[in-house]
Amino acid sequence: MKVTVIGAGNVGAKAVYYIAEKNIADIVMVDVVDGLAQSKAMDFLHAAPLRDYEVGIRGTTDFAEMAGSDVVVLTAGIARKPGMDRMDLLRTNVGIARQAAREIARRAPNAVVIVVTNPLDVIAMAVLRETGFALSKVIGMAGVLDSTRFRFFIAERLGVWPGDVQAMVLGGHGDDMVPLTSFTSAGGIPIGQLLDSSTIESLVGRTRTGGAEIVGLLKTGSAFYAPGASVAKMVEAVIKDEKRLIPASVYLRGQYGFRDIFLGVPVILGRNGVERILELPLTETERKSLEASAESVRRGVRELESL
Amino acid sequence: MSRVSIIGSGNVGANAAFFIAEKGVTDVLLIDVKQGLSRGKALDIMEAAPIRRYRNSLVGSDTVADIQGSQMVVIAAGAIRSPGMRREDLYGENAPVIEALAPQVARLAPDSVVVMATEPVDSLTALFTLRSGMPRTRVLGLGGILDSMRLRALISRELDVSMEIVSALVIGRHSDDMVCLPRYCSVSGVPLPQLLPPERIAAVISETRSAGDLVVELAKRSSAYYAPSAAIAELADSVHMNLSRIFPVSLMLEGEYGLRDAALSVPAIVGEKGVTKILTPELTREEKEALAQSARLIASVVRGGAA
Repeated sequence: MKVTVIGAGNVGAKAVYYIAEKNIADIVMVDVVDGLAQSKAMDFLHAAPLRDYEVGIRGTTDFAEMAGSDVVVLTAGIARKPGMDRMDLLRTNVGIARQAAREIARRAPNAVVIVVTNPLDVIAMAVLRETGFALSKVIGMAGVLDSTRFRFFIAERLGVWPGDVQAMVLGGHGDDMVPLTSFTSAGGIPIGQLLDSSTIESLVGRTRTGGAEIVGLLKTGSAFYAPGASVAKMVEAVIKDEKRLIPASVYLRGQYGFRDIFLGVPVILGRNGVERILELPLTETERKSLEASAESVRRGVRELESL
Repeated sequence: MSRVSIIGSGNVGANAAFFIAEKGVTDVLLIDVKQGLSRGKALDIMEAAPIRRYRNSLVGSDTVADIQGSQMVVIAAGAIRSPGMRREDLYGENAPVIEALAPQVARLAPDSVVVMATEPVDSLTALFTLRSGMPRTRVLGLGGILDSMRLRALISRELDVSMEIVSALVIGRHSDDMVCLPRYCSVSGVPLPQLLPPERIAAVISETRSAGDLVVELAKRSSAYYAPSAAIAELADSVHMNLSRIFPVSLMLEGEYGLRDAALSVPAIVGEKGVTKILTPELTREEKEALAQSARLIASVVRGGAA
């Protein structure tokens, strides 16, 4: 198995780290900045004797080296700066993504593509159009990250192990994401039975701004540990054909009443990419939030069309 | 390094030692009154250490007195079922073993967390708590955690999704009257009733109820021990690393759901001091009645045995 990560910045490198630790696939890191991917790959390999890596890790500036990849992760692009909205990123990142997408289509025509570059839901659309890949093969990474943040905040509040908390966050990867509190539980017990509603509301609020909270603290960058770990989970689900039920941004054709748009919904992720999209019954409030979230993604897609 | 002592070096005890060694978080002392048995199994496991890279020590002993100072004591001593036997049929044979061990454990390892794995587990958890005088939060029976694991495995098979993302909750007695709670079972937060039609849920529950019996029927000369010992290792992890994981474990009830004088599995937060919090998810009247019925049976068995 072979995984290519395009973009050797913080998110890309951290994703490579988490994937390498799983020992499930050879990894190629590609970055257009000469020396960046090569140096990080070399640094990883120097740790191999201690960390027992059984897989190869290569760094390169040459897209040709991604040939035959089973999964390609697109993280290339500029990161958000404090105060910057995800939409501000669009102009710069769509150019980078389109170029990468052409290379993916040419070098790894059978790959499942996991899009991480922000604004995620819009960039995923650009990648789908540029590659011409099947709808099930282009997937945006957002819901796993938003859910893991929500899970962590709930676990911290309850004083329980984060792995025992399950949560589902839908919608676009923006401030209007839709955490579904009725699909969130600890040890199987819905959080509505464990926390009062004002506490839940505050945890939902913190989840929505979880990315911005980190940007505000770091000042010169954005989060990369949790995003990297989220990417690795998705890569593993594809490589090992886990059929993992996760929220991810996928192209909708009428599901939840949306059409021709990438939006975060629950999907089964396996060897073929999106194996199935699940339609959950939503409350009126959740449906409205999802609609608002979809509207801001649509706005981004309209901007995309002008670029 | 902290230490877990396992009393009883049969299949459950020895495999619990093995799984705990694989996790590498604590030293293990394996004890059996049968001369040499524990020492032989401990040696066999440790001779794999260079390959499996165990960092902890695992030794065998023929003397219960060696449990002194253990942070956790697992009781896996006593007779097991043959095909056709019910777990309850073992009470007469195993109760004297537990009655003898209880005061010894209380004297030698008074601050330990005790995990009862000997069947019938709920009655013996109650008996041990009464005879040892140890607080109920530090005597945990291996019931619901195992039944929940089995239900998780079966749900995962039924839905063809990764086991890791399935959460399941089974409470009550570790017998055919266990109380499976499908609305508290979920996949990545999505409640089971939204993923599986009622008749399939009923089939999976029925299979869970008889899962232990099926293993005895098939294996003929042993009862289940891989899944039980894996559950013991999970508990050991949560105790030794103070993870505060949520597990349904059997413990003496003191008013939960209006019940007392019996041990039954309820979801609880488990850390280094044993149970730090008991959770009582909302139940229907039928579910509460089923619990009450099980509690009456256990209370009468334990009272009868004490007479």
